[in-house]
Amino acid sequence: MPNPYSGGPDRSMIDLVGGDGGEINPAIYVDEDIYRRELEQVFGRSWLFLAHGSQIPETGDFVSTYMGEDPVLVVRQKDGSVVAFLNQCRHRGMRICRTDCGKARSFTCSYHGWAYDISGRLVHVPLEQEAYHGEIDKDAWGPVRVPRIASFRNLIFGCWDEAAPDLETYIGDAAWYMDVMFDRSGAGSELISGVHKWVIPCNWKLAAEQFASDMYHAPYSHLSAVLASLPDDASPADADWPQEGAQFRAPRFGHGTGFFASERGWEFNVNTMGRTIVDYLAGKYSDAAVQHLGELRGRQITGQHMTIFPNFSFLPGINALRVWHPRGPQEMEVWSMILVDSDAPDEVKAAYRDRITRMFGTSGIFEQDDGENWVEVQRVLRGHKTRQTSLNASMGKGHTEDRSEYPGIVSGMFSEEAARGFYQHWARMMAGQSWEELAQEPASACGKPDSGS
Amino acid sequence: MNNRIDVETAREVEEFLFDEAALLDDGHFDEWLALFAPDIRYFVPVRTTRSARERDKEFSGTAELAHFDDDYEGLKTRIRRLATGFAWAEDPPSRTRHFVSNIRLRALENDEFEVTSNTLVYRSRLERQVDMFSGKRVDRLRRSGGGGKFEIAARTVYLDHTLILTNSISIFF
Repeated sequence: MPNPYSGGPDRSMIDLVGGDGGEINPAIYVDEDIYRRELEQVFGRSWLFLAHGSQIPETGDFVSTYMGEDPVLVVRQKDGSVVAFLNQCRHRGMRICRTDCGKARSFTCSYHGWAYDISGRLVHVPLEQEAYHGEIDKDAWGPVRVPRIASFRNLIFGCWDEAAPDLETYIGDAAWYMDVMFDRSGAGSELISGVHKWVIPCNWKLAAEQFASDMYHAPYSHLSAVLASLPDDASPADADWPQEGAQFRAPRFGHGTGFFASERGWEFNVNTMGRTIVDYLAGKYSDAAVQHLGELRGRQITGQHMTIFPNFSFLPGINALRVWHPRGPQEMEVWSMILVDSDAPDEVKAAYRDRITRMFGTSGIFEQDDGENWVEVQRVLRGHKTRQTSLNASMGKGHTEDRSEYPGIVSGMFSEEAARGFYQHWARMMAGQSWEELAQEPASACGKPDSGS
Repeated sequence: MNNRIDVETAREVEEFLFDEAALLDDGHFDEWLALFAPDIRYFVPVRTTRSARERDKEFSGTAELAHFDDDYEGLKTRIRRLATGFAWAEDPPSRTRHFVSNIRLRALENDEFEVTSNTLVYRSRLERQVDMFSGKRVDRLRRSGGGGKFEIAARTVYLDHTLILTNSISIFF
């Protein structure tokens, strides 16, 4: 399709993020045209998280979710595979299924009664002979299928773009870091049943980028939750977070993570997460993880935040995961879940449910303050001058480190290297670059100036 | 109203709930916490949109994800947070108004009562944020200490929302 930004000299999208992602034009958070292009170029082409396999264990189990703003149904098939299709009837466009989740034998549109089987095949049209004279080609008029579905560690992803690389290539080096959470024991993982869903009036990128790259906000934004969790006889100095750590920027495709890495393990967080979870992560229950992932990933990496581009984020160890669904440039829906290892002891699973719900999710004492920041960032951008005022994402530019223990591009844990990776990849997608071009590591990822794309 | 409960008791329960709401709206959170029994379970399940056939699965169960599932310590942690000076989502504080109505009582054993009420919570925040929460509360009230005063031994709040239409639930129901 014609695209004014594709391949030509027009660098306007790249310029919006200062070339290398280090200086942000706030238009990317508010502009309606940019948003429509984002739905097409970013959400229409990237691998997007759809569901965790444990949400739909049996034939006909489904969840209703979104790819960008497009509603899709994700359904378990008889043969165990997963199919996803647009939640839109092909007759007059009515939403086929209006519930959040459930078990279906079929899906029947409430408007005129067109009925689809669980794989999305149109199987029944009322008055097919009388009204359509038997001439409607039912095979041609099923809801649009998501052409590509793939799983990584039981995380089901979908992608509209036939030209995108396979999921494994897309995730790339980020897999090593994801496994801290999703392959801790080798026994697989499951969700604690239920999804927190809420609305934050802010652009989705503020959240996705923070989870990719921002350890910097944690000691200040979340100070109240840390202080409130200290025992009665403790002093604020006891809220002593590790000082060592690193940040990872995916060489391509925009993913990022950062974390503490310390021999103290999770002990620093025992007051917020509780003894049971800390023992699970770094104490008496952690030998199997160390055996499976090694000492560094099995015990020492803590406080990790991570985003798989564009909108799937999680906190390994804390095991909160979420999708930031875009709802216009000024709003998003947060869908938040909690994951546990399938082979974790029951008391550990219960502790995750109890403690992490208190920390993260709709009422989470850590979560609340994130929302507060993003909402105000967004509200300030109603102004004329504020929209002309560029924002600084230069932290740690040119200071990547040579750390052989970590894959990918690595910097100090207080850095915006991964944020620049996120925004630069976003801009290149928005500019309409092909997947061949996107697979090329941008020169500026290593701190050198971008020679142009 | 159950006719086994005398008017005076009903009036007392009503007054207790109204006083409780006033403590929240006036920001007296320590006094509010003092109304709860040490074995309190403060539970706000997640609601999902389900077909009529699966309506019994609307609310999350006690082993599933909840908006709140706090014991006394959990509530205390939330309230301590408000006093740290760094609780950005509540500093400046939300302005709330708790409306409690449709109160129904049922006598339980051991001088306990099940009290069901409707709650409508209006929240105004900063310049122009306005949120409304609507729900059904089911409380278990207990006469404590012999002084005749009530304490809240259990509270479940069934919200009328599936998607929560605000950036956080930093207040209490």
